[in-house]
Parts: sequence; structure tokens; C-alpha cells
Amino acid sequence: MALHDMSYGAIMETLPLTEPVLLILLSLAGQPQHGYAILKDVERMSDGRVVLSTGTLYGALRRLLDDDWIERFEDEDTSRGRQAYCLTSQGRRNLQMEIDRMKHITRLASLRVAARER
Amino acid sequence: MLNVYRQLLRLYPAAYRRDFADEMLGVLAEARSEIICKNVIDRALFHLREVLGLVAGALTEHLRIAEWRDFKFPFPRKEFTMRNGFRFPKSTVIFMMLILGGVLVAIKKGGDIARSLPDVNPQIAPIQPSHWALVPPVVLLWMFFCALGLLGWAVLFGLRKSGMHRLERMSDSQE
Repeated sequence: MALHDMSYGAIMETLPLTEPVLLILLSLAGQPQHGYAILKDVERMSDGRVVLSTGTLYGALRRLLDDDWIERFEDEDTSRGRQAYCLTSQGRRNLQMEIDRMKHITRLASLRVAARER
Repeated sequence: MLNVYRQLLRLYPAAYRRDFADEMLGVLAEARSEIICKNVIDRALFHLREVLGLVAGALTEHLRIAEWRDFKFPFPRKEFTMRNGFRFPKSTVIFMMLILGGVLVAIKKGGDIARSLPDVNPQIAPIQPSHWALVPPVVLLWMFFCALGLLGWAVLFGLRKSGMHRLERMSDSQE
């Protein structure tokens, strides 16, 4: 089922995202990227903590393509046979929803911890 | 090593291979060309990670085709899920107390019987019951059947007639 057919509740059920999926989406948020660039970007963003294997990366990309969160990007430079991917508008909206959710949790956690330390 | 990866990619369902195999091989080649100048341990870790990733990915894709859509391969992800919805029924506590009481009574009775018997038997070495002799053959037989099953599956897999391949063909024909 494409995500644009999903209800808000159904989208919320897919959250929270796992860290690798979140990092993949963040990698694609700036600009379209091909597989190897995503791998390197994820490693860089997580300071080397999340190192994806090719099998794991393409498993996640396949799921995101199926759910219509990302799409294939028609790149002019196809000389090396590399396929680039980019976020769909639905994917971008869902990523924003996840970021908002995380912001809320962080704010709440900060308040609770600060209250405890007083 | 690229040949090994190419062979491992054959473990994936045909539809997945059509869509991603060339791309994945390209990524593996790029990653390998970068790792080639690193030390032996880094290279070994890289290859191990990639091999495990490919095998786990192939398994996940086959299970997905078999309609286990929510399946996630249980590799360590520094997270675990707590199931807090499950509760034992209240009667469980009563039954557990009854069983505990029964065990305590049995231990007490056993002690009383042992004390009431005259201690006339000399100390002897532990007796090995004769049925223990059956254990090794049973284990061997079980291992033999496991090996036979595995061999049968490997033959079917080699002939591309295993359950995975049949499911793959079914999914292809549905598409």
C-alpha cells in the first residue's frame, strides 16, 4: 500500500524509525544520493557508530521504495550505472514527523531530568 | 571476493536480484576498492560484515515473500522490545504455590523414609542405569536424520526446487 493511502494513525505506527533507517532518510534529505554515498554518509553522520553492510542498506532501501518514502532519481550521469535515490514528499513529511516526535521526547526528557536534579 | 558476493547475491529472490543485484555489486566493488589499502583486520571485518549482511538480507527477503512482512532479522541492534501487554492469570500464583507445597512435602517424606531405613548397605559407586546406554545411539540417529534432511534440502536447493524457489516462482507468476 502506498503511503499516501495511509491514515495518520497508520503512519504513526511506523514510527519510531530505527537508527539506520533514520540516518538513511537524513542522508537523502539534503540531496539525491546513490548507494555507496549513502553508506559513507551514514557512517560519517553517526561518527562511525553505524556502519551498514550493503545487504542491510538495500534491504532498507527496498522497504522505503515499497512504502513510497523514497524514489529512484533520474540522474543525468548514469555512466557508472549507479542509481541515485531521493525522498518523496511523503517521505519528507514522515521524516519531519519523526524529527518532531524526537524533539518532543528530548524536551520532555530534559525537563524531567532537570526537575529531578533540583 | 567479488565472485563470492556475486554468488551470495544469487541467494536473493529473482525479482529483488533484477532490481538491485547490479547496483549492490557496484557498491560492493566501490567499498572493496576503498578497504583494500587498510590492514588485515579491517579487511576481514569488512568482508565478514558484508557476507553476513547479504545472507541475512536474502533470508529476510525470502521470509517477506512468504508473507512474514513484519519479520526483522535478529542481528544485534542495541535495542530490544519489551512486551508489557502480557499478564499471567491470577490462578497461576495459586497453582505455583500448590506445586511448591507438593515438592516440599515430597522432599520431607523422602527424608523421613531414608532415616527410617536401617543403614545396612555398604557405600558403593553410583549405579549407571541400563537405559543410559540408549542415549548415544539415539543422539547419533537424530544427528543422522538431521544430516539426511540437510542433504536433501541442499540437493533440492541445488536443483532450484526448494520451497524458497517454489515461492519465488509463485511470486514471479503473480507479478
